[in-house]
Amino acid sequence: MAFVARRLAAALLLLGVLSVLTYALLALAPGDPEQVLLGPRPSTAESRAAVRAQYHLDDPLPVRYAAWLGDAVRGDFGASLYSRESVTSVIADRLPVTAGLAGYAIVLTLAVGLPAGLVAAMRRGSPLDRGITLSALVALAIPPFAMSILLLYGFAVTLGWFPVFGAGETFAERVTHLTLPAIALATGQAAVVVRQMRAAALDLAGQDYMTFARARGVGRARYWFGYALRNTALPVLTVGGLLLAANLTGALFVERAFGLHGVGELLVSAVGQKDLPVVQALVLMGGAVVVAVNLLIDLAYLAVDPRVRHGAVAA
Amino acid sequence: MPGTVRLGGRARRLRRSRPGPVTLLSGGILALMAAAALFGTWVAPYDPAAQDLALGATMPSWAHWAGTDELGRDVLSRCLAGARSALLWPLVVALGTCAMSTSLGLLAGYRRGWIDAVMMRVVDLLIAMPGLLMLIVLVGVLGGGIGWAVLAMAVLFTPGDIRVVRSLTMAQRELAYAEAARTLGLSRTRIMFRHLLPNIAPTVVAGALLSFVAALVALSGLSFLGIGLPAGTPDWGLMIEENRGLLDLNPWAAVVPAALVTIAATAATLLGDQLFERLSDA
Amino acid sequence: MLETRGLRVVGDRVLVDGVDLTVAAGETVGLVGESGSGKSLTARALVGLLPRGLRAEGSVEVGGTQVVGASERLLRGVRGRRISLLMQDPFTMLNPLSTAGAHIAETLPGRTSRQEIARRLAEVGIDDPAVAGRHPFQLSGGMRQRVALAAALAGDPELLIADEPTTALDATTQHEILALLRRVQEARGMGVLLITHDLRVAFAVCDRVAVMYAGRVVEQGPGAELAAAPAHPYTSGLLGALPSVERAMERLVGIPGSVPRADEVAGVCAFATRCDLVAAACTEARPPLRPIGRDRLTACVHDAAGTARPPLAETASLTVPTAGPADGEPLLHVEGLRKRYGAHTALGGVSLHVNPGETVGLVGESGSGKTTLARSVLGLVTPDGGRIRLAGLDITDRAALDPRERARVHRLVQCVFQDPSTSLNPAMTVGAALAEASARAAPGDRIGVAELLELVGLPAAYAARRPKALSGGQRQRVAIARALAVRPALLICDEPVASLDVSVQAHVLELLRGIGRDLGTGMLFITHDLAVVRQIAARTVVLLKGAVVEEGTTSTVLDAPAHDYTRRLVSAVR
Repeated sequence: MAFVARRLAAALLLLGVLSVLTYALLALAPGDPEQVLLGPRPSTAESRAAVRAQYHLDDPLPVRYAAWLGDAVRGDFGASLYSRESVTSVIADRLPVTAGLAGYAIVLTLAVGLPAGLVAAMRRGSPLDRGITLSALVALAIPPFAMSILLLYGFAVTLGWFPVFGAGETFAERVTHLTLPAIALATGQAAVVVRQMRAAALDLAGQDYMTFARARGVGRARYWFGYALRNTALPVLTVGGLLLAANLTGALFVERAFGLHGVGELLVSAVGQKDLPVVQALVLMGGAVVVAVNLLIDLAYLAVDPRVRHGAVAA
Repeated sequence: MPGTVRLGGRARRLRRSRPGPVTLLSGGILALMAAAALFGTWVAPYDPAAQDLALGATMPSWAHWAGTDELGRDVLSRCLAGARSALLWPLVVALGTCAMSTSLGLLAGYRRGWIDAVMMRVVDLLIAMPGLLMLIVLVGVLGGGIGWAVLAMAVLFTPGDIRVVRSLTMAQRELAYAEAARTLGLSRTRIMFRHLLPNIAPTVVAGALLSFVAALVALSGLSFLGIGLPAGTPDWGLMIEENRGLLDLNPWAAVVPAALVTIAATAATLLGDQLFERLSDA
Repeated sequence: MLETRGLRVVGDRVLVDGVDLTVAAGETVGLVGESGSGKSLTARALVGLLPRGLRAEGSVEVGGTQVVGASERLLRGVRGRRISLLMQDPFTMLNPLSTAGAHIAETLPGRTSRQEIARRLAEVGIDDPAVAGRHPFQLSGGMRQRVALAAALAGDPELLIADEPTTALDATTQHEILALLRRVQEARGMGVLLITHDLRVAFAVCDRVAVMYAGRVVEQGPGAELAAAPAHPYTSGLLGALPSVERAMERLVGIPGSVPRADEVAGVCAFATRCDLVAAACTEARPPLRPIGRDRLTACVHDAAGTARPPLAETASLTVPTAGPADGEPLLHVEGLRKRYGAHTALGGVSLHVNPGETVGLVGESGSGKTTLARSVLGLVTPDGGRIRLAGLDITDRAALDPRERARVHRLVQCVFQDPSTSLNPAMTVGAALAEASARAAPGDRIGVAELLELVGLPAAYAARRPKALSGGQRQRVAIARALAVRPALLICDEPVASLDVSVQAHVLELLRGIGRDLGTGMLFITHDLAVVRQIAARTVVLLKGAVVEEGTTSTVLDAPAHDYTRRLVSAVR
C-alpha cells in the first residue's frame, strides 16, 4: 500500500501549498491587511482593534497562518466582509445551485460523450466519425461564457424555449432553468470525453489481445465487459480530474452569464469586492475537492489495474 | 503483417499535396482576424470609444452594421479594435509557453538526472493546482492588469507542455538514431535541437496553437469576469460582459463578440489539429 | 479439415491473391514467407478476423463450414471450438487485466473448475497451479506463450493456426515452445497450420510446407524434399540466402531486388523480375500451381527442379575468417565489467577482448547483458565496475576523459544498431546524416557522401532521399556507412540483421564481412543467431545472465560446445 501512502502524502502536500498561497493572498493584496480586512466598515480605533484581535494581526506571520489554518480545518473561515455573515453559511446558501448545475453537466457530459466517442471509434473514418470528431474539436474550443451567450440568444431570447435568468423554485423549474447553463458547461467537457473515449476505443481495437479473444471464441458478454469496458475505463478515468477542474472554473463563467446565484458567482463577486475571507474559503474548498477526486481516481486505478496494484507500473 | 496495411494510401497522399478545405477555411479566418488586429482601427467606420448617449443601444442599421451599445458606441468598430488585444496577448502567451516548455522539456528529457527530478516535482505540483481558478483569484485580488495576467498564464500553461515534450524526448533519445548521434560524439545542443527537436516538432507546433486557444479563451474569460482590463476597453470578453444585459435591446452587441471569440478559438484549434496531422504524416 | 480454394484478401488493392491450402487432422502444415508475403493476412482470413477495411474472397472451409462471408454469429461458434489462432507476441496477446486462469476459463466449454484449469496448464508444461492466479505482467515471455496456447486450446479446436508463435522468443524458449506445439498436436490429433518466416523452423516441425510470395503460394511439398530440391527459384533463392549454422559459407548471396506488390504481378509470375531463369512464358500469363510429383506443387513454368536451382547453394567453403594476431595489445580489452540496474545484474564481471581487424561474435539471449556491454563500450552507459581499454586508452568512464581524448574515442568505435526503422533520423536526408558523420572524422581522413554510399553499395543519388523512402536493408546500409564515416578501428554491430528478411540479411552480412576483410575494421558482432555468428566471427563469446560462460574459436564453440547452456543453444537450432 506504498502507492496509497505516496498519493496521500502528495495530496496533503498539495493542499498545504495551496493553503499557503491562499493565505498569502492577504499579505500580497494591495493595501494594509488591517485595511483590507476592515472592508467597508468605518475605520475607527475600536473596529481596527477588533480586526487585529480577530485575525491575530499582532502575531508573527507563521503563527497567524497556523491560527487561520486551524480555524479553516474546523470549517471556520471567519465572516464575510460584506454581509457580515459567517463565510460557511454564505457558501452553504449558494451550494445547492452550483451542485445542481455541476451534477446536471456531468450527467450530460457522460451521457453524450461516452456513446459518441464509442460510435466514432466503431465507425472509424465514416462521415459520422468525421462529424463527431470535428464537432468535438469545435466544442473544445468554444469558451463557456461565449457558449452561454449564444445559447441564451438562440434558445431563450429568439426561440423563447427556456427562461433567461434565475434558477427556479420547484424541481421541474430547476431543471428547465438549469438546462441551458448545464449545456454550456458540459459542451467542452463532453468534447474531452469524446476524444478520450474514441482514442481509447481505437487503441483497444488494435490490441492483439482483443483479436486473440475473438479468435478463440470468447463469449460476447465477456468480450465487451471483461475486455472492452475494463480496458477503456482506465484511459477515460484519467481525464476525470481534469473534467472536475474544468467544471469548477466553468461554473464561474456560466453562473455569471446566466445570472445564477451559485458558488461560482459568489467567488467572482467576492474577488471583485476583495472579500478575502470568502475568496480564501472558496479557493481552499475548490482545491480540496479537486485533490480528493484525484485521490479517488488513483484508488479506482488500484481497483481496476493489477499492474498498479503490484507496483509494476505507475498510474 | 496486418498492422502495416495502409488503407487509403492514395487519398492520404492527395490530401498532403493540397491543404484541405478545413485548413484553408480556418487559416483564412485567422488571417482575416490578424488583418483586423493590425489594420482594424483604420478601416473601422467609427472611433471605438466615441459615445452617442442620445442614441443609446440600437439594433443593426445601415449606419451601424452591428448596432450600438448602451453608450451608443458602434459595436462593429469596437469588435475590430478588440481583435488586437484578443489575438496579441494569446500570441505572446503561446510563444512564451512554447519556448519555455520546449527548451525545458528537451533539457529534462534528454539530460535526466537531478535536473529532471527537480523540474518534474515542480511541474507535478503546478499541474495539480486548479490553475485557472488560482489565476482568476490572483489577478482579481492582487490587480496588476493584463501584463501580470499574461505572465501568470504562461507559467500556468508551461508545465503541461513540459511534461509532453519531456516524455517525447525521452522516447526519442532511446531510438537508434539518437544513440548513433551520441556515439558520433555530437554535442548535446546539436543532438537536442538538430536531431530530437525536428522529430517532436509536430507536437510542439500543435501544442503552441493549443496554448494560443487556451490563452484566448482564458483572457477573454478574465475580461468577461471584469478582471485584467480596465472597464471601457474595446475587448471581446469585456464587450460580452458589458452588453449581456442588452439581449432584448441589441443582442448583437453581445452575440457578435461571443461569436468572434468562438470562431477564433475554433479556427486555431482546427488549424492546430490539421497541422499536427500533416506534419506527423510527412 | 481446412480447405481453402482461391483465397484472396482485398482492400483497396489485392493483398493476398489465390491461396490454396489443405490441412488434414493430425497434420502440421507450414506456411512460409518473408514480410509482405501475405501470410499473416491469410491466417487472419482463415478465422474471419481481417483488419478493418479488408475482406476475403474465395472459399475457406473449416470442417465443412464456409468461413468467407459467414455471419459473426456463425463464426463465434466456429472460433475456439473448430479453429483457433495463436498469435505472435506473447507480450500483447493476453489481456493485461486478467489472470492466466481467467484466460483459460473464459473459453473452457462447460463448467470450469480449479482442477480443470490446472490440468490445462499442465498440458502446456506449467506444473505449478499457482500460475493460474498470476497476471500476464508477472510471467516471462515463454510462460505467457504457454498460457496463450492453453487459452487457444481451451475450446478443444480441431485446427490450430499458429502465427509466428516463437518469433518474439529467445532461441532456447523457441525450441521448447515448438516442441510443445508438436507434442500437443500429436496428443490431440489436431491439425496445425504453422505460419513462419523461418525456413528452418518450418522444415523441422512441419509435414508439409507451402511457400508464399507476393500474396500467393509458389511452391508446396514435404519439408525435407523442399529443402533438398526446391522446385521454385524463389525457394531456392531463400535457401541460398539462409546462413548455415554448420559451416561458414564463402559467399552469402541474397535475392536481388525486392518483393513486388501482389496487385502489380497479378497476371504474371510474381518472381519474374528477380529470377535468373526468366523466360517469355513467365510474363505472358500467371503460371498456375501445378503438380510435379507426389505431394509436390510448383508455380514455376520451368520443368525439372534441378534447373530451377541457380548455383546459389553450392558455396561450401570452410575457410573460417582468420583470427587476428593474438600477440600485442588487443584493440578492445574489457575486464571484469559490472553493471546493475536496481536489483537486476546486467553485467556481473565480464571480460573479453577484440584484436585489431578481428571479428568477435557475442552470443546471448535477451537479458544476457550483451546490449549493456555494447552500450558500455560505446559510452552510452557508465559501468559500475571493471575496466574498458580501447586502443590503449582507458574509456571506462567517458566523463573522466579530456575533450581531445573523448573526440578520439568517438572516432575509434562506432556502432550499427538493430532496428532499421529507427536507425536513421527520419527528419534528415541520407546525405545530411552522412555528411554530419563524416565531419566528425579526423581532418585528413574525411570521406565524401558519394564515396560512403558507394562503399555500402548504394547509388549516390540516394543522398537526397529520406529514410522513409528506403527499405529496411537499405537503411541498414546507410547506418553502416554512417558508422564507417569516421574510419573506426572497432565497429560494434548490435543485432544488425535481426530485423531483416532472410534474402536481405544475406546482402548486409556479406557487406559487413567485406568491411572486416577489406578495411581491416575490428568488429564486435552481437547476435542471438548462431548461424549468423558462424558466418561472420572468427571467435565467439557466449554470454548468459551477465557472465561469460564460454569463449573460443567459432568452430570450437559451435561444433564442440563445452558449457551446458551453449549445448542447449546449439541443439535448439539443429
